[in-house]
Amino acid sequence: MNTDNIQIEDSSFRDNQGNIVYFNNRILRVINKSGKKNLDFINESGLLENSIKKNFLIKTKLLNQKDLPNFFSKYENVLESDIIPFISYPYEWTFDQLKKAAIHHLDFQIYLFDQGAVLRDSSAYNIQFIGAKPYFIDLLSIKKYEEGEYWIGYKQFCENFLNPLLLGSLKGIQHNNWFRGALEGIETTELNKIISLKDKLSFKVFTHVCLQANLNQKSISSPEKMSSKYKNLKKLPRKSYVSMLYQMKNWILKLSFKKEKTIWQNYSEENTYDSQENNEKELVVKDFIAKEKPNTLIDLGCNNGNYSKLSLNSGANSVIGFDFDHNVISAAFNEAFEKDLNFLPLLFDAANPSPNQGWNQKERKGFLERFKSDALIALAFEHHLIIGKNIPMDQFFEWIFKISKKGLIEFVPKSDFTVQKMLKYRKDIFHDYSEKKFEELLNKKANIINKTNITKSGRVIYEYKAI
Amino acid sequence: MRFLIFLLLTNVFFLSKAQAYIDPGSGSIILQALLGALAAAGATISIYWSKFKSFFKKDKDKKDKK
Repeated sequence: MNTDNIQIEDSSFRDNQGNIVYFNNRILRVINKSGKKNLDFINESGLLENSIKKNFLIKTKLLNQKDLPNFFSKYENVLESDIIPFISYPYEWTFDQLKKAAIHHLDFQIYLFDQGAVLRDSSAYNIQFIGAKPYFIDLLSIKKYEEGEYWIGYKQFCENFLNPLLLGSLKGIQHNNWFRGALEGIETTELNKIISLKDKLSFKVFTHVCLQANLNQKSISSPEKMSSKYKNLKKLPRKSYVSMLYQMKNWILKLSFKKEKTIWQNYSEENTYDSQENNEKELVVKDFIAKEKPNTLIDLGCNNGNYSKLSLNSGANSVIGFDFDHNVISAAFNEAFEKDLNFLPLLFDAANPSPNQGWNQKERKGFLERFKSDALIALAFEHHLIIGKNIPMDQFFEWIFKISKKGLIEFVPKSDFTVQKMLKYRKDIFHDYSEKKFEELLNKKANIINKTNITKSGRVIYEYKAI
Repeated sequence: MRFLIFLLLTNVFFLSKAQAYIDPGSGSIILQALLGALAAAGATISIYWSKFKSFFKKDKDKKDKK
């Protein structure tokens, strides 16, 4: 059998129990000698089957190694997981998405604890969304509970979930930029430095942030003293372990983002064209989706997801939406979650999308490495890059074609109210910005399949197919 | 022999605290010992508190029925 298509996932190097291997577009999990005993426990206890049934864990099944190439014979076991259409990272999630992921993690822990098992880590990257539903993807994180053991992943849970959520709820600061810079999350010692005395009056904040930060600081300043304390620790009672999980869950459930109204929140209601023009736009989207029936669709500048939802209803199988506005992505996500839509809205800044980073600059992949789709819609989007960020028009098209070879792009002319607003306090340096130029450059690298005028102000939607 | 058993036991304790491929952070573990003690005390108090409350509730219910 051909083994050329076997590739070990770049981010799967930390755990010695196993790795992720891609084989012919399949996701396999290989188990090393050190992971064999743990896998046997997970499998024989029925936890594998039941965690999948309860929608905690992504569907994973054991494979017969005889059916696989020789490469796999050196491993103890091989499992296959369902494909996750798009991998997203906690720094692309809104507060509400991170909160959902945190609750999913804790609910899974609570369920496992009841079955005599716990999770060995608390990485937020182990939660992935399919549509808007969170799934735990790393079955090797499950281990047998040993009487008296401590919550090993507690520190990591705080850094990956609790602290970023506290940053949002106490300070109204989005966690995304900080998390993207510090891939392992927000350190408790750092969060402790920026919270106010008033915040510290909360018993929970005081213990989980201040006290934890001080104790961890002490382990650096007086390591011997802390080490002797550590060695003399008694076993943690079972009741205490589980009540910590419940208390953490109840606390996180009550957290909400300290809100401010953002520019795009009421965009759909306050946008600059009337309902007849809106209908026109909807028709163009509907026709395009019904014709193409894309398995995956990317909606750039998705706002509250109106056109994403319309696309799902018109024949798209799954949609990933992107926008830079925290509030609209939150609203879109909450709706997708409630209605169980195959729609995942994510936060992104098109002028500065997620880069390749982490170990060897391969551990966490960039936007273009992860997000490619059968079709794309970019409605009322291009002017935010070309005018708003001074991105040259030809480079804009180049970038768009890397994401999808076909799609719809709306051109917003200079005379349009939104562009006028953008140029109000700026010098207009965009002398080339016109429908004619837009069409000319689009035509260089793509065929224009359709062109529809949708507003009196001169907005045009182009259907393109890249050459 | 006693010493050996002691060593074995303490090792088991130690292993159960530190069996991780990620760094659990000694400070974070020590905090859990504190939180654990508080949580256990809290759980006991809450049981008594709910009994206390239900005692009055029953009393009130009886009065209401009357």
